[in-house]
Amino acid sequence: MKSSALPIRLLAVLCLSALLSACGGNGSSNGSNSAPSGDTIKIGIDLPVSGADASIGIPTQNGTVLAIEQAEGKGLPGGFHLKADALDDAVQGVHSPQQGASNTKTFISDANVLAMVGPFNSNVARAEIPLTNEAGLVQISPSNTADNLTKGPDAASLRRSNPDTNTYFRVCAIDSRQGLAAAQSARKLGFQKTYILDDNETYGLGLANVFETDFKQLGGTVLGHDHITKNQQDFKALLTKIAANHPDVVFFGGTSSNGGGEIRKQMFDAGLSKVAYLGGDGISDQQFIKDAGVTADGSYYTLAAPNTQKLPSAQQFVKDYQKRWNSQVGPYSASAYAGTQIIIAAIVKAIKDNHNKMPTRAQVLKNVAATKNFDSPLGPIGFDKDGDSTSPVISFWTVKNGQQAFVDQVKLKL
Amino acid sequence: MHNVLQQLVNGLSLGGIYALIALGYTMVYGIIELINFAHGDVYTLGTFFSLAILGLLGVSNQLHGTPLVIDVAITVIGAMILCGLVGVVIERFAYRPLRNAPRLAPLITAIGVSFILENVMQLWRGPSPVPFPQVFPNPAWVVGGIEIQAKQMMVILFAIVMMVALQLFIYNTKLGKAMRATAQDRDAAQLMGINVNATIALTFLIGSALAGAAGFVSGVYYQSTWFFNGFNAGLKAFTAAVLGGIGNLAGAMLGGFLIGLIEALANLFPNGNQWSNVVVFSVLVLVLIFRPSGLLGESLPEKV
Repeated sequence: MKSSALPIRLLAVLCLSALLSACGGNGSSNGSNSAPSGDTIKIGIDLPVSGADASIGIPTQNGTVLAIEQAEGKGLPGGFHLKADALDDAVQGVHSPQQGASNTKTFISDANVLAMVGPFNSNVARAEIPLTNEAGLVQISPSNTADNLTKGPDAASLRRSNPDTNTYFRVCAIDSRQGLAAAQSARKLGFQKTYILDDNETYGLGLANVFETDFKQLGGTVLGHDHITKNQQDFKALLTKIAANHPDVVFFGGTSSNGGGEIRKQMFDAGLSKVAYLGGDGISDQQFIKDAGVTADGSYYTLAAPNTQKLPSAQQFVKDYQKRWNSQVGPYSASAYAGTQIIIAAIVKAIKDNHNKMPTRAQVLKNVAATKNFDSPLGPIGFDKDGDSTSPVISFWTVKNGQQAFVDQVKLKL
Repeated sequence: MHNVLQQLVNGLSLGGIYALIALGYTMVYGIIELINFAHGDVYTLGTFFSLAILGLLGVSNQLHGTPLVIDVAITVIGAMILCGLVGVVIERFAYRPLRNAPRLAPLITAIGVSFILENVMQLWRGPSPVPFPQVFPNPAWVVGGIEIQAKQMMVILFAIVMMVALQLFIYNTKLGKAMRATAQDRDAAQLMGINVNATIALTFLIGSALAGAAGFVSGVYYQSTWFFNGFNAGLKAFTAAVLGGIGNLAGAMLGGFLIGLIEALANLFPNGNQWSNVVVFSVLVLVLIFRPSGLLGESLPEKV
């Protein structure tokens, strides 16, 4: 009897595999050398829009899409059409450098993609910059803050294919400023002793190290510095150890998707319920409040962007955004919008320079790099030679009654 | 010293969760010599089932008195039954057809089932962490400066009660005897009139029900869950089962508590948290090299 069942099973397996290969079939068949065709120009968007990063990734993506839609509505010279090509770099709910790199390769192999917006997370950027650098595709990140993406020998190694070309730009502040702002704000709130945690990622570790140095320099005491591990669920033992050191504030360098909210929640089980919690923009998302629940109150965080609601130059953007998406502006929506506007302006200029013909990636890159005093909702933006914003702003926030509450625009004492 | 004792309490409660999961690993291995890699995901499924049942009961936060006892009992038993059924279904469709195949084949289907469960949970409750309500008040007792919370006591008691009940079941009932006989020699057991398929299904039912209980306990303990938690917890529980002697119930319990303690006590050293996984899995390697039968395991006579 067994032998008669075999062909049926074989058939079933064949059907399944055919189905699977059909699903996976829309890979990149375009070679990177093929010329752009038609009159459509695409802007690639690589952000985490599922899972624990989605609560901040989606409003960021919305900002980008809004800018593209507005430009398309106004019309581009030469009759070109502008389209967003959005991909998700979260795998199993957490931003993934591998997925980011794969998305970037998809953009690179599509000749109609002339620029990309993203990524959101610094460790994803480390995987993407070498690719865009090699392909000469310009990318603007709304939110990567790690210093070593643009500064120092680490950044140079990311540009190893074309050391003299920079394809990576960002409109936010960097962590050497964000960490300093966090340290200054913590001292201003009267915190004397801190215990530092980080998630061991490019962003989290870098920010925690800056905070540690600056907090000490401002006369504070750093009781210790520990790293959490990937997918860690139990922080109780670690927090018990921290409680024994009696800090005034626990600093966390990392993202909500790596346990930012869970740590805050478990602080209440480990005798740290009266101790403040401070983080960077990694916990500036709604996911943090969702994960930490009622314990989110009494947390503080910095944001490497201004408070859009309070910014006179951003009022029109806020109105447009709420009208289009029917939701509140996210922490990095305006930054993404501004970055995309810079890209669009660069494309428009390139089309004009090219006598209304399809521009090349190199032309778009050249125009983005030359950006100075660009009028955006964040205020005038320009890029320095490293690709960093020349007018970075940092704001300081807290959580009150389960809501994000603006404290201050930080004026750095450098 | 005070620190060490407090970490012991943390380690024991963490270990209690590992122990509950390890019991299921060790039972399944004992009876069909299969490492059921999907077991950790059944544990996470237990948390999600508990969450769903609490939702159906309309429970939110901090119950007291009779409703507490009734609702919590319904939740635990419901999660255990559902997980047990999932275990039986997994056994029927992923392992039984491969019972006489080479050993590698069911191991690979086990990994496949693990992926299926993870993705089903991701589709069901989304890929981000899901909060779990605090179903009962959590008073803490301070004994000699050491704080012990109600939920920590609950975890430890749960693990011990479950292990004792299981031990009694296996050594004092007919079904337990059938399980032991099947574990010793499947063919001989069949010749003696034991329904081997039913006995193996029963093993999966009980093992997975224990994972369901562990799932509820971890939901209460951490007040949150994530579809991917079972992967790490499963690996640690597997380590616990090997450490204690795979196939041995008391060993699984001992191993679970030891792994929990190792993880917590690692925090007594600078940067310990980062190294805790390294230490735990080094223990696994060392045990496999120097005492493959585990702490309480006996080296079984060669099966022919």
